[in-house]
Amino acid sequence: MSTNTDINTALSVTTPPQVRTPVHRASAVGQIGRIVGIAVLVLGAITALGPLLWTVSTSLRTPAEAFTNPPQWIPLHPDFSNYSAVFDQIPIGRFFINSVIVTVLIVVGQTVTCTLSGYAFAMVEFPGRNAIFAVFLATMMVPLQTIIIPVFVIIRYLGLSNSLMSLVVSALGSAFGTFLMRQYFMQLPRELGEAARIDGAGHFQVFFSVYAKMAGPAIATLAILNFSAFWAEFYRPLIFLQTQDNFTLPLGLVALQGNLGTGSISIVLAGVVLAMLPSVILFIVAQRYFIAGVTAGSSR
Amino acid sequence: MTHPQPALFGRRTLLKGAAGLGLAGLLGAATACGGDGSGGGSSSKTLKMLYFGEQSAATELQNRLQPAITKLDPTIKFEIAAINGTDWNDFLAKVLTQVAAGTPPDIISVATEGLQLMAQKELAVPLDDYVTKDMADLKESYFADVHPALVESMMYEGHLWELPDSFNAGNMFYNTGLFEKAGVDAPAEGWTIDDFENAASKVANIKGINGFGWVVRLWGSWTSFMYANNANLLEEGKYDGGDWLWNSAYAGDPAAAGRKGGWKWGAPTANSPGTVEALDYMIQLNKKGLSPKPDVGGGGTLQGLFASNRLGMAIGGGFWAGGLTNAGMKKGSFDVQLFPKWQSQRHLFGAGGYAIFKSSQKKDLAWETLKQLVKPETFDIVFPGNVTTPGRKSLMTAERYAKTGPKNWSVFYDTLTKHPDTMPIPAPPYYNAMATALNQRTTQAMSSGDAKAALDGLQSDLEKAAS
Amino acid sequence: MSTVTGAATVTAKAAASPPRRRQHPTKQGEGRFGFMMIGLAVLFVAVFTAIPIVASFLLSFSSWDVISPPEFVGLKNYQELLADGPVLKSFGVTIGMALAIVVLQLLVGLVLAVLVNQRKMIWLRTIFRTAFYLPLLASTAAVSIFMGYLFDYQFGVVNYYLGLVGIPAVPWLNSPFGAATTIVLITVWQQAGFTFVLFVAALMAVPTDVLEASQIDGASSLSSLLRIKIPLISPTILFAAVVAMINAMQLFDQPYIMTKGGPGTATTTVTIAMYQKGFQNLEFGYGSAIAIGLLVIILAITGLQFLAARKVVFYQ
Repeated sequence: MSTNTDINTALSVTTPPQVRTPVHRASAVGQIGRIVGIAVLVLGAITALGPLLWTVSTSLRTPAEAFTNPPQWIPLHPDFSNYSAVFDQIPIGRFFINSVIVTVLIVVGQTVTCTLSGYAFAMVEFPGRNAIFAVFLATMMVPLQTIIIPVFVIIRYLGLSNSLMSLVVSALGSAFGTFLMRQYFMQLPRELGEAARIDGAGHFQVFFSVYAKMAGPAIATLAILNFSAFWAEFYRPLIFLQTQDNFTLPLGLVALQGNLGTGSISIVLAGVVLAMLPSVILFIVAQRYFIAGVTAGSSR
Repeated sequence: MTHPQPALFGRRTLLKGAAGLGLAGLLGAATACGGDGSGGGSSSKTLKMLYFGEQSAATELQNRLQPAITKLDPTIKFEIAAINGTDWNDFLAKVLTQVAAGTPPDIISVATEGLQLMAQKELAVPLDDYVTKDMADLKESYFADVHPALVESMMYEGHLWELPDSFNAGNMFYNTGLFEKAGVDAPAEGWTIDDFENAASKVANIKGINGFGWVVRLWGSWTSFMYANNANLLEEGKYDGGDWLWNSAYAGDPAAAGRKGGWKWGAPTANSPGTVEALDYMIQLNKKGLSPKPDVGGGGTLQGLFASNRLGMAIGGGFWAGGLTNAGMKKGSFDVQLFPKWQSQRHLFGAGGYAIFKSSQKKDLAWETLKQLVKPETFDIVFPGNVTTPGRKSLMTAERYAKTGPKNWSVFYDTLTKHPDTMPIPAPPYYNAMATALNQRTTQAMSSGDAKAALDGLQSDLEKAAS
Repeated sequence: MSTVTGAATVTAKAAASPPRRRQHPTKQGEGRFGFMMIGLAVLFVAVFTAIPIVASFLLSFSSWDVISPPEFVGLKNYQELLADGPVLKSFGVTIGMALAIVVLQLLVGLVLAVLVNQRKMIWLRTIFRTAFYLPLLASTAAVSIFMGYLFDYQFGVVNYYLGLVGIPAVPWLNSPFGAATTIVLITVWQQAGFTFVLFVAALMAVPTDVLEASQIDGASSLSSLLRIKIPLISPTILFAAVVAMINAMQLFDQPYIMTKGGPGTATTTVTIAMYQKGFQNLEFGYGSAIAIGLLVIILAITGLQFLAARKVVFYQ
């Protein structure tokens, strides 16, 4: 976790031991506070989960029932035909594989580039460091639609158009990912690295043997954030990919909506649920690293 | 902390090497994977087609037509990419990106919405010479089967730019179950707008049900009422020319009388009395509780609402035969009739067809493929399940609509044959700007209740766009 | 109370990072090493982001319809932009929605994080953490689609339940203000999960010694929250605010799918206006000019955020 060891050490040294006995506040206020707190949390959870539950339950009903109120939150007769229809209407297996290839490669690739550069921006002195980092940040501020045509021209120039690699190669660098890793590294104590250097370690050795090991939570976070984001990506695949064999999942799922919206809403929602599933499973499995790491980029 | 051992080769060097190799490897693999699509349709050995619809249909079509293409040129591979979007804007975005990047397709499916833009920008080539060359065959095999209104809608400045194969006219769909429950008779062919309003009122009396529903868009919204009111958004005119086609393909056909060189859309008339009256009619319908405020998305929600028996009536075309069925409506639960009569019974329609890209290096081959694409047997491969209306009269059979309904399917083509005033939606070269402005001003009118003010705004929007 | 903040300040100074200018034995290789480390990232970001941005910048001085070659027009696009009422309005709409989104996102995330953190039982914490994070895992397009159904004026679930408690049906997507509000709500619904998780972890990192010291001092949990916890996690708050603002200013999917920018132009964000003017009207030069305008605005807002942060954010 991102506990700042410096503060802890300092605190235990400088905080003078207190002599006053702890005063217990009247528990009534505390009790009410606790109840209100739980109520707010429960309300929040209902708000967060409600729409998702509606989506799942509607995907298990026929389209004609989609608008019945009160909504049946848990369908009495779940109808899985919508899900099999998804498999019938589109080659979802193929799309799934494509999405896996693209997403995994991007995640791995960004882990490398963002960790290396994040470390350098945080820990290594080099001329123009702040200026280059500022430019990095600025690149986050231009919407994709603006640059998609120049990017596509470059993709084509590299001979990558219509390939899954077009999606991968153009996403191997990330200003956000570098930012995240930089923030994390800036929280780690510098003494460790300095001690290693005094001992004669080369720069890269310091990185690899000392700090890279500690970057686990941050890397895990970036990985999971990237996974969710690129798994659900639609616009770049729309523009870069031409033939169906190469389509990724979100692009393939649009087909369920049918020409001019003639598709069935229940099938569309079944597709939505199917698309979310891998991210959800991954999140539940990796929750520990996830929460631990998300904060990594935040302080400083 | 232990002393880190200096490595034999600097780790740095190794990593650099690995990174370098990795990068090279990636790019190598990339070009290997991506080689096929990298060349343009023009230079490489593929005949490329961009098609707005489902990929599964596209793939099957591709496989079906490949033999015919191979016969013409054994070196050519036919490749169809389907683009699925909820509207033509997504399609257009994709087409433009490809054009920008230098990989334009050879053949492209374009609907009325995009036709004049493509023609004016000279993205496509006129088909006049090709059609004339093959007229002997086409006259019987194609033009005899396709209503001249559809062909005329694919003309611009006297030239034919596309071969149409499908269309959708704005007819009125109604829910038979709700009509029965409300005690409303099935509408007759010549029913009027008063009949329509009566029906809507009776159906709206049923608790929780709306008499009529619509969605904000150019095709089949308040615009249908506008057409029936003999009004329009733009001045209606026709380009000269076209005799080369009418005299050879449709010689002696009364349906071709008065047709010229394509629709010429003139000065905006968005705030003309007839247009304002039509939009205001929708506002009144809403105020009377007969129609909810319309959705702004695509037709998807409208279809969902209709299919879940919440709406008595809605405007739809042949595409709803398949659409409503997909949405779960049983055959017989819905039916269709002509749009009701107001000042006239003029309908609007949109058509779809195929064009050849100007930059194509394989125009002759593309033309041969075009002819294949508009053959009767190709239609159901391209559009399985009645998701649009065939442009060929011969395909309009009871058998086609046996599984999906509606019972009154003959209405679809009758709109063309029995009503010579049926005309396409206004689709000038600046269609996109017009559609966006129309959507904005329509929602503005519905939420403010002031049709005149909104349409005054639309008038100035269109004047700006047209200039 | 003052003892606590006094102690905090003292510890802050004591815990300041060690002097950075200590001479390292191998300093000369550092610059080179640094460049090599950032090399890959810079390469990819430069090729696929920076260069396209430069291309867009250059395009903004031209008139280009994609089909014919671009035509240089100097500052004409920018002049047109400054006189273009609807596009300027979209800037206003965007900033308004973005402010609402970011403030709500931060508030909701913070409140929920504080509350979750107070729960003593791990399993409760896990359940709530999962619940609040799940919305983020759906794609923005999917959210826009199913939320469109939920907020339907007549048949949506939201109005149904409101009706049960006697509130008349709200024209969520049919009125200008309603539509903007709905977009804000569904965006916050999703993005609050991100700030929530950020803050939960940040709160967990607050050293317990400081908290204990303040409790012994007699501080109530509310004041310890306000005076200790929040300042200590203020760097996280800044990060979240900056990232959230950058994303909110580029909002596209939700308004485009749910309302197509309507009713009227009530939810037409800058990116939607740019898409309409660029792709749809075949005026890429003008579209690029709008994008550059947006970049400038976002830079300015981010700069303001960092300036304000100097006064408020507390680094250890």
